[in-house]
Amino acid sequence: MNFVSKLSALACGVAMVAAVPFAAHAADKTITEWDLQTTAGAVKVIRDAADRFEKANPGYKVEDTHILNDAYKTKIKIAFGANEPPCVFSSWGGGPLREYVKADQVVDLTPYLDKDPAFKDRFLPASFGASTIDGKIYALPAENTAIAVVFYNKDLFAKYKVTPPKTWDELLNVIEVFKKNGIAPFALANKNKWTGSMFYGYLVDRIGGPEAFANAAQRKNGGSFADPVFVEAGKRLQELVKAGAFQKGYNGLDYDVGGSRRLLYTEKAAMELMGTWEASTIGNENPDFAKKLGFFQFPSVPGGKGDPNALLGTLGDNYISVSKACLEPDKAVELLKTLTDDTAAAGRLADNRIMPLKAIKTDNPFLTEVYSLVAKAPSVQLWWDQELTPKLGELHKDTSQALFGLSKTPEQVATEFEAAAKAELK
Amino acid sequence: MTDISTRSADGGAGGAALSLRKLAPVVFLAPAILMLAVYLLYPLVDSFRLSLLDWNGLGSNAQFVGLDNWKKLLSDTLFWEAAWNNILLAVFSVLIQMPIAVILAVVLDNAGKGSRILKILYFLPLLMSSVALGVLFKYFYDVNFGPLNALLDYVGLGYLAQDWLGDTRFALGAVIAVICWQYIPFYMVLFMAGLASFPAEISEAAKLDGASEATIFWKMKLPHLKGTIRTAAVLSVIGALRYFDLIYVMTGGGPEGSSELMATYMYRNVFSSFQLGYGSTVASGMFIVVILIASVLLRFSKRYETEV
Repeated sequence: MNFVSKLSALACGVAMVAAVPFAAHAADKTITEWDLQTTAGAVKVIRDAADRFEKANPGYKVEDTHILNDAYKTKIKIAFGANEPPCVFSSWGGGPLREYVKADQVVDLTPYLDKDPAFKDRFLPASFGASTIDGKIYALPAENTAIAVVFYNKDLFAKYKVTPPKTWDELLNVIEVFKKNGIAPFALANKNKWTGSMFYGYLVDRIGGPEAFANAAQRKNGGSFADPVFVEAGKRLQELVKAGAFQKGYNGLDYDVGGSRRLLYTEKAAMELMGTWEASTIGNENPDFAKKLGFFQFPSVPGGKGDPNALLGTLGDNYISVSKACLEPDKAVELLKTLTDDTAAAGRLADNRIMPLKAIKTDNPFLTEVYSLVAKAPSVQLWWDQELTPKLGELHKDTSQALFGLSKTPEQVATEFEAAAKAELK
Repeated sequence: MTDISTRSADGGAGGAALSLRKLAPVVFLAPAILMLAVYLLYPLVDSFRLSLLDWNGLGSNAQFVGLDNWKKLLSDTLFWEAAWNNILLAVFSVLIQMPIAVILAVVLDNAGKGSRILKILYFLPLLMSSVALGVLFKYFYDVNFGPLNALLDYVGLGYLAQDWLGDTRFALGAVIAVICWQYIPFYMVLFMAGLASFPAEISEAAKLDGASEATIFWKMKLPHLKGTIRTAAVLSVIGALRYFDLIYVMTGGGPEGSSELMATYMYRNVFSSFQLGYGSTVASGMFIVVILIASVLLRFSKRYETEV
């Protein structure tokens, strides 16, 4: 009896201690927010927006958490699996967002946006493409506009008297010139696979136009990944490999630890196909080198149907959504809007990032140029590994790495991928 | 409360003391059993349950598909290639780590006090975090800037320089070398502990009888270490079959799956492809493979134990 009473006294004590934080919580309602912005500038924009939201909504507190890219992908998945997701979360739109929507985890933002057309119409219409599923919008484009362009070392181009290539033949010529002079034409860190995927994505676009991929990925208009367009793209890619367009060891180099950029800095390589975020990365890592940095669009391919102004990339970079598990969805949507309002957009612009808004004015020449490319692009294809379902995205990355390694033929890859797509997308 | 009192009433006069004696082991074992149940048994059983589902791991849209995932696993060449890589890793781990660790242990043991600094030095790799080691060796192997290729070039062996982590032929071997480098100290310490129990008088007596160092090693010290080596080999094999970290950091299983292990394949399925169901099948399949191999190994080492 004595033991039991001691135990119950202990239990009471534990309960009292536990009760204290609950009581504190009751006063302020907390809205949790997770993102993968970890640079000081980006975090500040988010915290500032959270402060504005808290001011406008007394009694609410925003708990913002910033997590590194790869850790974020794992953590957010576990949080949803355990049914304890944050109220506001980031994604890249496309395939992974579709998985969350399919699992009925994401709040449909369409009614909220319809109520506030002035807010919605500020965005470039194309920017909702990656977050629209079955005609409903599930996320707002938030952080940046990132498109893949070919960065190049202007000094090296001048030294060897070559100009940015506009066509395939010009590109092959540039490759030959650099090869002859012992410089790798392209730096490529393809351990990560999405890096090499950009070449394949652009080649398919240049050869078959944006419809080729869209039809195959959405299984409409008889689209198929076994289409000659994909085989042709694989052949062009391997043509580059065989021409020695990439430095030694491209399939093992790690982008995350700067594998490709080090080659640029040391002038062992002349070009890199990469998202436009690379400019600010280089600006931070090596300001001297940044002065030599230029960029051009991916060249056209002979006989290709695609418009050479079409782009591969993302209008939004990160997309923010509200989870269905959120107890305060209306307020969370309010927070989404604050996170993407004009003040936040200006903050991001000052941090050299462009939100996909119609009215963007900047005196930064690089951003102006990126923005003008986006403005005149007939289409912007989202990164393949983000657009496809996660399973197909993985397979695409694996098969494109195999194309680079010359261990699979373009025909094999096309057949294998189509078989998987057929099984997955039905 | 009433339950206990009725039972003690049944037990008669000495019943209360007896039930307490019975209760004590239960109470003392309960925390350990609870921990095992929560952190080992439950996940194990649950991953078998998950392996019967087609589920992306989000929300409640899981579909029961019976043994479909298991059928897929049996014909999944990627999984079996990964399992084969695990076996290669296990074989090379034992073949490389055991002899070197034995040699180091014997040499350090003979060197006596003078070897203390060396002991600490050799032990260092084991103290480093695998992730840090992985990043370090990624630089070491770097084909364009890495010291390894530069060194080969410098000593006139430039033709041996390779794309260590980017070539399907070398990636697995390159990581295995680092894994061995990391774990040799562990087995070295194990063997040094084994040698510490080797009575000095015996080797002194042998020396008086004119036995050389080599004879002492082959005929006396090595047989003395037999049991330890067997245990170490079993540990090494099991560790290799479950291995994950350095491969994940250094190659991510690539290029083109050439260094994929069962554990990295499982990780990719669950976290990159959003296939929690199939990923759990891979995990359970991996569990079965490890259990099978481990029990065969233990059976063999048991038999030896009784024979020797």
